[in-house]
Amino acid sequence: MRLGTAGTRSRTPAPDATTERSAISLRGVGKDFRSAAGESVALDSVDLDIDAGDFVCLLGQSGCGKSTLLNLIAGLDSPSRGSIDVGGRRVGMMFQDANLFPWLTVRGNIELALRLSGVPAREFGPRVDELLETVRLPRAASMRPHELSGGMRQRVALARTLAQDCSILLMDEPFAALDAITRDAMHDETERIWLERELTIVFVTHNVRESARLGNRVLVMAPDPGRIDSELRIGLQRPRRMEDPGVADRAAELHRRLSGRNEP
Amino acid sequence: MSDIDAGRLVGKAAAPSRRIRFIRPEGQPAASLGSRILGRSWPPLLAVIITLLLWQVVYLSGWRPSYVLPDPATVLQRTGEMVASGKFWQALGTTMFRAAAGFGLALGIGTLIGLVVSFSRTLRAAIGSMITGLQTMPSIAWFPFAILLFGLSESAILFVVILGAAPSIANGIISGIDDVPKALIRTATVLGARGLSLYRYVVVPAALPAYLSGLKQGWAFAWRSLMAGELLVIIASKPSLGVQLQFHREFADTAGLMSVMIIILVLGMLIDGVLSRVSNGVRARRGMGPVS
Repeated sequence: MRLGTAGTRSRTPAPDATTERSAISLRGVGKDFRSAAGESVALDSVDLDIDAGDFVCLLGQSGCGKSTLLNLIAGLDSPSRGSIDVGGRRVGMMFQDANLFPWLTVRGNIELALRLSGVPAREFGPRVDELLETVRLPRAASMRPHELSGGMRQRVALARTLAQDCSILLMDEPFAALDAITRDAMHDETERIWLERELTIVFVTHNVRESARLGNRVLVMAPDPGRIDSELRIGLQRPRRMEDPGVADRAAELHRRLSGRNEP
Repeated sequence: MSDIDAGRLVGKAAAPSRRIRFIRPEGQPAASLGSRILGRSWPPLLAVIITLLLWQVVYLSGWRPSYVLPDPATVLQRTGEMVASGKFWQALGTTMFRAAAGFGLALGIGTLIGLVVSFSRTLRAAIGSMITGLQTMPSIAWFPFAILLFGLSESAILFVVILGAAPSIANGIISGIDDVPKALIRTATVLGARGLSLYRYVVVPAALPAYLSGLKQGWAFAWRSLMAGELLVIIASKPSLGVQLQFHREFADTAGLMSVMIIILVLGMLIDGVLSRVSNGVRARRGMGPVS
């Protein structure tokens, strides 16, 4: 991994007024990708502050840089321009695929995350039990990933991410491959765990209703070049449900913004 | 809502193991152990019977005189007599000791080289293709060189056995590490795995199935190289399976020769069977299913 010449990603708190309450702070962040066709701008200039404890959804069609932005915040990739500051917070990330390690049991998967976070081995047992309780899979500890349903796998992935004791949780379309019923259940769990653990969540999705169901703020992104186009504050009470009229209203508004852009 | 998942959990846990191939109607008693063994072993048994029958037909056709090509019954009887003799076990001991030592050393060397090469881009560029090249080199071509280097000695045999097996083992681990899904690496990186811990906890375990395939191939090469070696490098004081082959040929004792060949075939298959079992077990635990 090579840092871009101008791009920096800092884990130490910067003496900036806005970072006092921001969990995540982006200043002029851009990312270019080089391919055979030449250089393309995946992300233009993104300025963004996300408060600690906020739930932010990044909404947009594919190719607008949502995942790129998330990878930059996670530190999986480094920006070509600008700076990213997470104030030294631990960052956890979930993907569309649970990516469980197939050679380990559910317990083994979570234990590995604990081990990599420096938790002493004698604490593994109770910590794993507690995390499985949190994601409501108390009896799955000895099962293998291939024996689990898609929803259960994402629950284990969530438990494994929480094992890092992260305060920022990045989620890249984590429920896009689940059926509607399981997805609704996972929305409830995500909302509950977000409140219980006072997490800061950045949730990438292309599902308009999902973003209105989950987010406090929805950032609508646009492609060519990837950028944040507009923002909608949802302002609905929780807990919410997919079929709430308020959620439907906000979803319709988001739809207008997404499709309106394509009209002259 | 979590009841749905919980229901599935119970259902999955109670579901029959995927190893059971046939579906048994409700209420019927489970097949007995004997019939299950029979159910699994009849195809290879049938193949053996057909081979013996064909052999018998060729024998009866009189294509070759019976002292050159004996009939199956004679050969099997000789095999039985041979297995009952002490001399055979001494020869078997020598051969199996060489196989264990050669394959064991190849295992260590191949694994080490594989790990180091997959770790270093420069080393990969330098000797990556050479390892594949060595794999295609017939091991018998090494023997003249080995005999000049080490004389007619155990070392010459071991040298060639290691050269035969180690490249396959190294290649197994290299290709296994190359094929580790990038998504798993990314996930492990987000979980905080870096450098050595990434290797130890994610890359190496993920590469294990390919490594075991490499071991199987390595064993096949080791066994072939060993038999070639025992035919070429004959150490007078050491009776071995290879020496016995040579001995029976010199005395034009085809029945004895074929008996030794049967033993060599069966031994190779047995060890391959053990490695396959380990390999399939590892795959099954990951939901990858057995490879046949």
